[in-house]
Amino acid sequence: MPANRRDFLRRALGASTLLGMSPTIPEFLCRAAQAAESRPSDDETVLVVIQLAGGNDGLNTVVPYADDHYARSRHTLRLTAKDVLKIDGLLGFHPGMAAFARLFQEGRLTVVQGVGYPHPDQSHERSMRIWQTARPGDPNAQTGWLGGAADVLWRSAQADVPAVFVGRIAQPFTLHARTAIVPSVRDAEDCTLRVVPRDAGVPPAAKCAGETPAPQSTLLEHVQRAAAAACVASRKIQQAIAAPAAVEYPPLPLSETLHSIARLIRADVGIRIYHTELGGEPPGGFDTHANQRDNHASLLRQLSQSAGAFIDDLRRGGLLDRVLLMTFSEFGRTLSENGRRGTDHGSAAPMFLAGGKLRGGLVGPHPDLSQTEQGGVRHHTDFRRVYAAILDRWLGLDSRAILGGEFPPLELFSR
Amino acid sequence: MKEKNTATAESAAGRQPCDPSWAWAPFVPDARRPWDLRLAGHLYRRAGFGGTWAELRQSLADGPQKSIDKLLRPASDVAAFEQKFAAADAQAARSGSAEGLRAWWLLRMLETPHPLLEKLTLFWHGHFAVTQARIQNAQLVHRYLKLLRAGALGRFDRLLETIVCEPAVLVGLDGAANRRATPSRSYAAGLVGPFTLGDGGCSDHDLAEAARAATGQFVRQDEFLFVQREHDPGVKRFLGEEGPWKTADIVRIVLRRPAVARRIVGKLYRWLVSEAEPPCDALLEPLVASFSRDYDTGRLVETMLRSNLFFSPAAYRQRIKGPVEFALGILRPLEALVATAALAEHAAALGQNLLHPPTIHGWEGGRAWITRATLTGRTNLAHALLCGGGAFAEPADPLAVAQEHGRGELAATGPFLLDLFLQGDAPQGAAAVVAKGVSQPGDPRQQARRAAFDIVTLPEFQLC
Repeated sequence: MPANRRDFLRRALGASTLLGMSPTIPEFLCRAAQAAESRPSDDETVLVVIQLAGGNDGLNTVVPYADDHYARSRHTLRLTAKDVLKIDGLLGFHPGMAAFARLFQEGRLTVVQGVGYPHPDQSHERSMRIWQTARPGDPNAQTGWLGGAADVLWRSAQADVPAVFVGRIAQPFTLHARTAIVPSVRDAEDCTLRVVPRDAGVPPAAKCAGETPAPQSTLLEHVQRAAAAACVASRKIQQAIAAPAAVEYPPLPLSETLHSIARLIRADVGIRIYHTELGGEPPGGFDTHANQRDNHASLLRQLSQSAGAFIDDLRRGGLLDRVLLMTFSEFGRTLSENGRRGTDHGSAAPMFLAGGKLRGGLVGPHPDLSQTEQGGVRHHTDFRRVYAAILDRWLGLDSRAILGGEFPPLELFSR
Repeated sequence: MKEKNTATAESAAGRQPCDPSWAWAPFVPDARRPWDLRLAGHLYRRAGFGGTWAELRQSLADGPQKSIDKLLRPASDVAAFEQKFAAADAQAARSGSAEGLRAWWLLRMLETPHPLLEKLTLFWHGHFAVTQARIQNAQLVHRYLKLLRAGALGRFDRLLETIVCEPAVLVGLDGAANRRATPSRSYAAGLVGPFTLGDGGCSDHDLAEAARAATGQFVRQDEFLFVQREHDPGVKRFLGEEGPWKTADIVRIVLRRPAVARRIVGKLYRWLVSEAEPPCDALLEPLVASFSRDYDTGRLVETMLRSNLFFSPAAYRQRIKGPVEFALGILRPLEALVATAALAEHAAALGQNLLHPPTIHGWEGGRAWITRATLTGRTNLAHALLCGGGAFAEPADPLAVAQEHGRGELAATGPFLLDLFLQGDAPQGAAAVVAKGVSQPGDPRQQARRAAFDIVTLPEFQLC
C-alpha cells in the first residue's frame, strides 16, 4: 500500500516536498517511522535522578526531633516538634517540605534511612565519585553506574537514546558511558529540530517502486532510520511542549527542569533515564558549613515543591506508575554543629524515592545517633542496595554486571 | 551525475572483496572505474576533512596517485603553518585551559595544509585515549598531543615507546606514582590492553608482571622520573619471557606479538577504509606482515589510500562521520572560519569531546555516533553554522563560494553545492528539492544557505 504509506509518513514526519515526488517509500523506513510513532511503552519504566551536590544534611531533612542526641548537638539549627511536619513520634520532615510530607501520606514517597557505604570518604570529590560510579574501591572506574545502564540499554538496542541529562551544569559522571552517547540538554526544546530539513531524512523512493528493496548500504539505512525517528521524536516533543500543564510548576530552576522532563516523558520518545540536579556544580549548595538554616531551607523547599509538582503532573497524566524519582547526595553532615551555625562533612543520610509503584513509608530504622561515624551518622544500608533494586526491579537490568558485585536489592516496590 | 548508482549497486551485490593481491594493488582508473569527482571527494573526506572546490578540481586533473602524493607530502609550507600553530598551542597550554587547546586543535584541523596528519593524530588520540578529565593539566596534554602529531605517520613502535613514558599518559592511567609496594594495575592494563594487545590480550598474571615492571615510574614537576628504589628489580615472567624487566622491555616483548600489528592494522582499516563489515583475516594479512616488520604507519596508511579497495564500493561511504568530521565537512569545503571554542562544545555534545575520550577504549565510532538525539543535534549544528544563530555569529556564505567559482547564478548554485558537498552523488529527489529551493524568490544568499543546510542534513552526508 504505497499510497497509505506515503500518507502515513507525511503525517509522521511533517512531510517534505521530496515525499510528494516519491511513488513509494522503502518498507524499512516506514517501519522505523511507525515504530517511533507508536511504541509499546506501557511497561517501559522511567528513572529520574536528582543529584543534591554538597552533602545534604539528612538530620535536618528527615528530622529526629525527639532524639536527645540530636537535640543536644544542634544549638542553632535544631528543629523541634513544633517546627517539623511529623511522620511519627520520632521523625518529621523539615518544615519547608510540605509536598514531601503530603506525598509520604499518600504512599508515593519512600524514605530510605541511614544510607551510606563502609569507610566513608569525606572529600566531596571522592565521595561524589563513589556515589556516581558505585565503586568505592576503584577511583579509576571508567563509567558511572547509570552510564553503565545506558550502555546496556544501547547495546541491547532497547533504546537509541537511553539516558539524558537535563540541567545547566557539566554532565555528572553518573551518566558517563563507554559507548552510549548521553546528551546534555537544558530543556525539552533542546531535544527538538530547530528547522526540519526539507528532505526530512527520507531517501528517494523513485528507484525502488514496488517490492524490491532499495540497494542501500546498511550504514546508510542506519542513518535513515535515525533521521526518520528524529523527525518523529522532535514533533512529539514539540506537541508535549505545546500541551497545557496539568499543574502549576513553581518558578524555580529545579521545577522548570522537572517540567521539561515531564514533557519528555509525556512525549514518549523512549528515554529511560533522566538525570538532573539541585545545588549546582560540585561542591555545591548543600555544603552548608556556615549559616545553614536559611540556605538549607530554601534548597529543601525547592526540592519539595518542584518534585511535588512533577509527581502531581505525572499522576494526573496517568504516567506516574511508570516513573520513579530518586535523590542522592555524596554524604550527610555531622551530628554536631561546628560553631559557625553550620555543619561539616558527615557520612550516612536518607535517600528519597517517589513514584506510583512504591511501597512508600520508611525503609530501615533511624540510625542510632549515640554511635556516630567520623562525626556523622553511621550507615546501616549500603547505597548499592538501593541501586540494585532500581536496576533489577525497576529498569529490568542486571545489577550485578553494572555494579560489579552482588547487592541484595531493598524491597521498595509494590507488586 | 550518471555514475552515482553504480557504487551502491555494486556494494549491495558484491561481498567483501577478499582477494588481497587485488585489494592492495594501487588503483588505476579505467573505463569501468573512471577517476571522477565522486572518488576525489571520497579521498578528501578520508585523508582529510573534506575537499574545497579547488582541491577537488585539481584532484580530478591530477588523478588518484598524484592526489595521494600531495596529501601525504603537501607542497605548501607546512613548516610555517606548524610554527604558527605551535606557538598558539603552547600559549593555550600555558593559560592552563584545555578548552583553549581543544579550540586550537579544531582550528588547526580546519586550516591545515596537511589534513592527513591531523586525521591520524585524531586516530592516535582515540587509541592512546587518556583524558584531560583525569590529567587536569593542559601543559601535559599539550605535550602528549604534540607527541601524537609527531608520530602520527611515523613508526608505531617508537610512538609506543615514548608515549608510555609521557607524563600525561602516566597521570591519565593512574601510574604517576608507581611504587614498588603498590604497582599500578591500571597503567599496565592500558599498556598491554588497549594500547597494544587489546582487552583480554594477555593473562592476569602477565598483567601483574607488567605492572611490577613499571614500578619506579613517577611524574614529578610535570616530568617523567625513574626512581630506582621504588622499582621492583626482581625477575618477571611476561608473555613467557623471564627477566628483570622494565617498561621498555615490556614494550619490546609485546611488540613481537603479531596480535599487536593485527590490531593496529584492523583499527586503521576501520578508520580509513570501512566500518561496515569486519574484514576477513586474509585480506589484512599482507598489511599485517608488512607492518609488523617495522611498524611504519606512514607506509601502511599510504598502501591503504592508494589501493583498489579504498576506491571500491567496499569502502565508498562505508564509514560514518564523527562529529568533528561532520562539522569540518561543512566548513572546509566552504573555506569558512568559525569560533572553534564553540564548535568544540558542539562536538562534545554530539559525543566527541576532544581531549576527553570517554574511556581508555577511546570512541566507539561507527553506528554509535548516530542516534535520534545526535542527528537532531547535528541538524541543529548545521543550521547554526550555515544560517547563524547560537554561538556562531557569522554564518558561512555558500553563495560567495559558488560565485567565486562562477556558479553564482540562480540555477547553478544548488547543483554546485550538491557537487561540492556530495559530488553530485545524492538521491534524485534531493537534487530537485535543492534546485527548487534555490530558485524560489527571496534573498539569494539565504536561499543558498538553506540549500546547503538541506544538503548537509541528507543521510548521505553523514557518511564518510
